[in-house]
Amino acid sequence: MKLAISKKQKDSKIKARSKKADDKQKTILEMLKSHGAKIYDDLDNGQFPKFSIPSRSVSNIVYDKKLRQYILGNNAALRSSRNSAQLRSFTQLMWLAFFANRLTNERKSSTLRDVYYSSQAFAVEFEDQSESDNIIVDLEAVTSRAREDFHIFPEERSSIFGDLNIEYTIPGYEGKTMNLANHPDGYSIGPSLTTAELVDTSAEIVIAIEKGGLFTRFVEEQVDKKFKSIIINTGGQAPRSTRTLLKRLHDEMKLPVICLTDGDVYGEHIAMVIKSGSANAAHLRELTVPDAKWVGVWATDIEKYKLPTIPMTESDIKRCYDLQKDPRYQDGIWKKELDVFLRLKRKAELEAFSKYGLTNITDKYLPQKLELAKSL
Amino acid sequence: MSSIKEKFNQISPSEFFYSNRDLAGFSNPTRSLYTAVREFVENALDACDQKGILPDVHLTIKAVDPEKSDPKPYILTVKDNGPGIDAEHIPLAFGTVLYGSKFGLKQARGMFGLGATMAILYGQITTNKPVTVKSSSDAKIQNQFEILLDIQKNKPVIVKHTTKEITKTGLSVSICLEGDYSKAGTKIRDYVYETSLITPYASITFDDPKGQKFSHPRFVKEIPSPPTIIRPHPHGIDVERIRRMIVESQFEIPTIDDAMIEKVRKDLGLSVKKLSFTSIMEKAKKKWKTLPRQVRVVIALMSFLKMDFEKLNKIRIEDIDMPNKKLFYWDFGDSQSKSIDMDPESQYYKQLTNTVQGEPLTTFLTKRFQRVGPTTALKFAAFAKLKPEKRMGTLTNQELVNLSDALQKFDDFMAPDSSCLAPLGAEPLEKGIKKFFNPDFVAVVQRPASAYSGFPFIIEMGIAYGGDIKSGGPHVYRYANRIPLLYDEGSDVVIKVVNDTDWGRYKVKGEPPFIIVSHICSTRIPYKTAGKENVADRQEIERELRLALQYLSRKLSSFMSKRGQAEMAKKRANLYAKYIPMIAEFCTELSGKKKEPNYKKMLETEIAFETKKAVKEENEIGNK
Repeated sequence: MKLAISKKQKDSKIKARSKKADDKQKTILEMLKSHGAKIYDDLDNGQFPKFSIPSRSVSNIVYDKKLRQYILGNNAALRSSRNSAQLRSFTQLMWLAFFANRLTNERKSSTLRDVYYSSQAFAVEFEDQSESDNIIVDLEAVTSRAREDFHIFPEERSSIFGDLNIEYTIPGYEGKTMNLANHPDGYSIGPSLTTAELVDTSAEIVIAIEKGGLFTRFVEEQVDKKFKSIIINTGGQAPRSTRTLLKRLHDEMKLPVICLTDGDVYGEHIAMVIKSGSANAAHLRELTVPDAKWVGVWATDIEKYKLPTIPMTESDIKRCYDLQKDPRYQDGIWKKELDVFLRLKRKAELEAFSKYGLTNITDKYLPQKLELAKSL
Repeated sequence: MSSIKEKFNQISPSEFFYSNRDLAGFSNPTRSLYTAVREFVENALDACDQKGILPDVHLTIKAVDPEKSDPKPYILTVKDNGPGIDAEHIPLAFGTVLYGSKFGLKQARGMFGLGATMAILYGQITTNKPVTVKSSSDAKIQNQFEILLDIQKNKPVIVKHTTKEITKTGLSVSICLEGDYSKAGTKIRDYVYETSLITPYASITFDDPKGQKFSHPRFVKEIPSPPTIIRPHPHGIDVERIRRMIVESQFEIPTIDDAMIEKVRKDLGLSVKKLSFTSIMEKAKKKWKTLPRQVRVVIALMSFLKMDFEKLNKIRIEDIDMPNKKLFYWDFGDSQSKSIDMDPESQYYKQLTNTVQGEPLTTFLTKRFQRVGPTTALKFAAFAKLKPEKRMGTLTNQELVNLSDALQKFDDFMAPDSSCLAPLGAEPLEKGIKKFFNPDFVAVVQRPASAYSGFPFIIEMGIAYGGDIKSGGPHVYRYANRIPLLYDEGSDVVIKVVNDTDWGRYKVKGEPPFIIVSHICSTRIPYKTAGKENVADRQEIERELRLALQYLSRKLSSFMSKRGQAEMAKKRANLYAKYIPMIAEFCTELSGKKKEPNYKKMLETEIAFETKKAVKEENEIGNK
């Protein structure tokens, strides 16, 4: 009886969730349709169709202090099919919208590379993949939607591990659930996981870690249980789907997010991108976790823990100077650690803690940092 | 022990050039053959130009022994239809160095005919054969000479002289010289080809040693007006030149002998032998204006001596002391030296002063230089801190140097007279370019005359695009005084100006098929080297070249943009036809419609419009 009720309850829950996914799909389709209708009407009225697109030039990328991320300014450019210089890219974008419409409608996913090859079936030419990638960003800018919303995903994958129950919404798996602690290698964060419903979790924190090796170590050392955490391997700079998932874990499951990276300027910036996005994606808003915290490895940790170091390269140092000009690095820990990196001119990797034993990082360093994170 | 005694010998000009032949472009068999061709062809053209004759020039190069390998002896013959040279001048003109007719200030291809003699000299020292000259200056008799050059004495040695009857004037020069045609051939053919472009009124043929014939008939019937000989400009002069001009302007006191007295008597129109002093003076006063200078001086002297012809016969003028106004003479009768005072107020006093001390500065300037008037002369005197009436003959060395400096520095002289220049003219130049390259576009410009260091010059330039021109341009054809410059391109001022141009700005991109023809005309081309192949970057010349090129580039740019517009219109029509239907297809599905939008009529109208535009632009280019 109890079971029956719970099954019934579960069924209605599934229905509700699948309706939510349906709604989202509907919104996207409606939006694409309205863009298409505008073009159709222009042509039908004997006019060259045109639309406006926010400018993605450097001069139009500004830092929004309130949103704590880079956004596009008010400059917009007119794309007209009458302009012969724009006609080709106009057609390409038109095709992409048409193709995204099909993907969304049929709930099929594709990769950036897929898009490049698919175009050839419609006699739409792209010089190379970077040209098609660029048109995809155009579509994002025009619609203010991430490409993932149109079922277009990048190739790179990162992974996740921890006690988190999810429920799929992709065709063929609707209603199916999964606990993400079931497989010790972790689950790869792809289209099905990003679109899945997050059901429940016992975790109290999300630890985003830069490297696969450390991710495996953390799973082995049961960091998920010891510290009630979900572990995410960003695989270097976190892909957009991973950042979307991090945001959802923070917003929907109310979990704090901390980042653990190599002790160098690139590591510091990996954390910053998770926190406030990148200039490249200034046209998108749903990719940041403004409350995310970078807990290490800090430049000051290098001295504090006497970590083995390697010297910075010329490009490391140049990167430091570049970031010093970034408005996000003007105060707090971001500025302080950057200055110390520049003073030391040396860097340390996460693996450097192995000097003190393989589990030193999980036994000693991590607990200290988790404690510290509360006060950040 | 023997002492070495140094010998100082004066060497003849022939010997000097013999030992310095590299300077004149006779450094090796390749270069020498090319230079010899140039010198004779240019002499032939210059001779015709001067007499206003449409030139027919025939160049022949024949190997003495075709089987031999290069370098080997060749017979080079250049024949023209010019005025020819009088028989009496031929041995000197072709058998001595530094004998020529091209003295004086005007534009000509060569100076003094030096190069031709160098070629003869070079031929003689490499093959030991005489030069053969056939000339007729009266269209009746042709004189044929075979001449060798005595290098040490700088004198001609006539080996053979014959005459025959003929009906045309003209000159034919034939020399035998060591050359390398296999290496020089390309340059010589280029030279002939490029010469005919800049000399469209000439007909030039070339028979080469391999039996090939190159013929460049004239395609312009009018010969450009010949240049006039003019006086120098003050800016183009140095101390040595001033010194020579002063000597020319001064006049020696004539020796008064029987012959001189006879001349004076004749010029005054006096038939009676015995005539009183007063009646001589009266007659002279009446005829003064028609009297030659020598006679005037004698009359002036007589006026102070107060002597008639008979008395004059018995004295000898010893000295004329102008500062002390005294005239000294030796009296044969008394056998003693005597002196008389001269009255400075007398009109004859001025005549004597001019003769002895030269002209006053202002007269010297206005009479001896081009475009200097009395006002400017006075202004200049003040500038040079010299008295206007200062006699040129009384200038000290230091004063001469100061004068020369001041002439360079004084800015108020008028620009040099350009009537001594003979540019080709915009129209013949354009005709030439059209004939040679059959281009899609051509523009030419002749800049107004300008000057550097007192030497006037004119820049003529042409630019052409497309047609038969090969890509990889700009190809630059450089000319100076109608001579093509083929060697040492790298350091030339024209190349510098062309290379400084950003062609992208004029819508010329990639490997464009276009040429530039540049012609510098001047009384003195500032060549960088004695080989006369590249022009130095004088600021004034560079500026004029730049202005000419900018003007033409703008014309080219507007042609390119018209052409570009036509191409763009065509391209747009194609793009619309290709892409608009695709957009229509995609947006139909995207907007969930069944039927495609009604766009076909709009597309047709637009394509028709662009096609019409393309045709119109193309026609405009075509009409030009």
